[in-house]
Amino acid sequence: MKAQALVTAAILSGTTLAAQTIQNPTLRRAQQAFDNLDYRQALSGGRAALRERLSGFERSRAYELLGFTYSGMDSILKAVDAFKQVVLLEPERTLDPNRTSPKALSAFQVALTQVLVVRQLVVDSVTFVGGQGVVPVRYTVTQPARVVTRVVGGTGAASTSLRIDSTVANGQVNLRWPARLPNGDPVPAGNYTVIVEAAVGQNSFSTSQPIRVSHGTVDTVAHLTSLPGYAELPETEVPPKSWRPLGLALVYTGVALAGTSALSNGDLGSPSLREGGAIGAGIVLAGFIMTLKKPAPQAARGNILHNQLLREQIARRNAEIAQENTRRRQQVALTVAPVARPGGGR
Amino acid sequence: MRTERRKDGRALRAAVAGMVVLSVIPSFRLSAQHISIGPQVVFGDYREVSSDLQYRGSGIGAKATLEWKKFSADIVLSKVKYKPTSNGTATTEFDASEVDVRLRYYITGPVSGELGFINRKADPEFEAQSVGAVTAGAQMAYLLGPGVRMALHGGLMFGAKYSGGGTTSGLGALQLGLGLTVDALHRRVRVTGDYGFQRFSRKTDDGRGVLPAPIQQSLGRVGFAIAF
Repeated sequence: MKAQALVTAAILSGTTLAAQTIQNPTLRRAQQAFDNLDYRQALSGGRAALRERLSGFERSRAYELLGFTYSGMDSILKAVDAFKQVVLLEPERTLDPNRTSPKALSAFQVALTQVLVVRQLVVDSVTFVGGQGVVPVRYTVTQPARVVTRVVGGTGAASTSLRIDSTVANGQVNLRWPARLPNGDPVPAGNYTVIVEAAVGQNSFSTSQPIRVSHGTVDTVAHLTSLPGYAELPETEVPPKSWRPLGLALVYTGVALAGTSALSNGDLGSPSLREGGAIGAGIVLAGFIMTLKKPAPQAARGNILHNQLLREQIARRNAEIAQENTRRRQQVALTVAPVARPGGGR
Repeated sequence: MRTERRKDGRALRAAVAGMVVLSVIPSFRLSAQHISIGPQVVFGDYREVSSDLQYRGSGIGAKATLEWKKFSADIVLSKVKYKPTSNGTATTEFDASEVDVRLRYYITGPVSGELGFINRKADPEFEAQSVGAVTAGAQMAYLLGPGVRMALHGGLMFGAKYSGGGTTSGLGALQLGLGLTVDALHRRVRVTGDYGFQRFSRKTDDGRGVLPAPIQQSLGRVGFAIAF
């Protein structure tokens, strides 16, 4: 089982490598000669390889070998010519500055400025609510040129061709595509291609990046049951125990009995305090019991007001959320993602 | 004369019976207002003219309270059989039937204003003075605890009329009262206790000059009421 897996891995890696490795023996010998610093042999081998039947990758590597060789031989113009062919064959080709000689690197940079290509077209993967976001698109154009960026795609009635931008540009260009149709609606879901066409004089170059646009529902906002940082407070509070009930009972009873004594007519003898005393005793007893008893919870006005304001705030916020959700249910979430690109253009 | 007395007795009995009937129908409800009604045991002290005419007695009564928004009303009926005390010169007992109506309006804090009237009839009529007057005063109420309220009220009695004649000056008729209400059985029942003191500085003139003939009554009432 393990051996079978290794064989499968080797076959798979071989298939991949076959497309990206040099198969031509002449070119391999030229590469070997270059590695041995035998520039003359590398030069003749590279030229000979170009006369043979090569794959696009091998042809690009052959020109690149010639460019490096000419750079090593200080034939900068020839190196530039060779690198121009590399750029035309592989517009996305870049050289690693840490592993490339400065001469070859500068020749490659000069070559880049002498051919018109659009490189490094990137469409970022992004998700946004239709009409409220943009798709970042960026590319690099190597010469000042009129660059037109379009999006084509869709099928049937939904097929569309939208111009994103048209400008004279040089160097890196950053665009923002709102992914909307001319009438303002979001583009329908489907496969599209972002095409960048650059033209200057008779020269023109185009490159593309397929993208997939998918639609989804916009997330709704959950309703609030509380506000962060704000909690409802108890609407009643138990006041501290006090002697106030007994005190007031004594005062009220005292006032009643003293009032009876004071208001009594002296001609009628000493006033009868039996009735007032009996009821007063009951009141004093009730006051005493109430003093000993745990006070009843009383309404906490501040807390009630606080809770009322809090509930009003939550209700107001939920009403806004309900409106927002109604709006969101009518919206569409666009997801734009680049898909594998077949290669550069011409 | 006898017919009138009979009518008074019937009216009082009818009112008491009505209150008792209402008090045993707890399903009787009036929205947005609170009513309590119930019987009371009444005991009192009555004095007239001088310390020799002194009576004490007990009887029955009823009290109804109606509360609506800032308004409230107390209707108190009582019938007390007063008997002469041993240290007086009076020899005949009499019945005192009293109606006391007080309308109250809440003003602020513990204070409410009161307006009403009292009417007390004595039977036999000439054993004691029957009296009627308009009352005005104020009440201070305080919540001692959950369901326990006490109130102190006082005021003047104007336009007092006596069955035996006589007058009272503007500030000559006063009343003072103390009350306690305790809610029980989830506020369906209220235990009530009330004390009322009345003093009339009555003066008479039989042609030989003005003579003081004061009337004074202390009344205590204890009972319960059904609240609904």
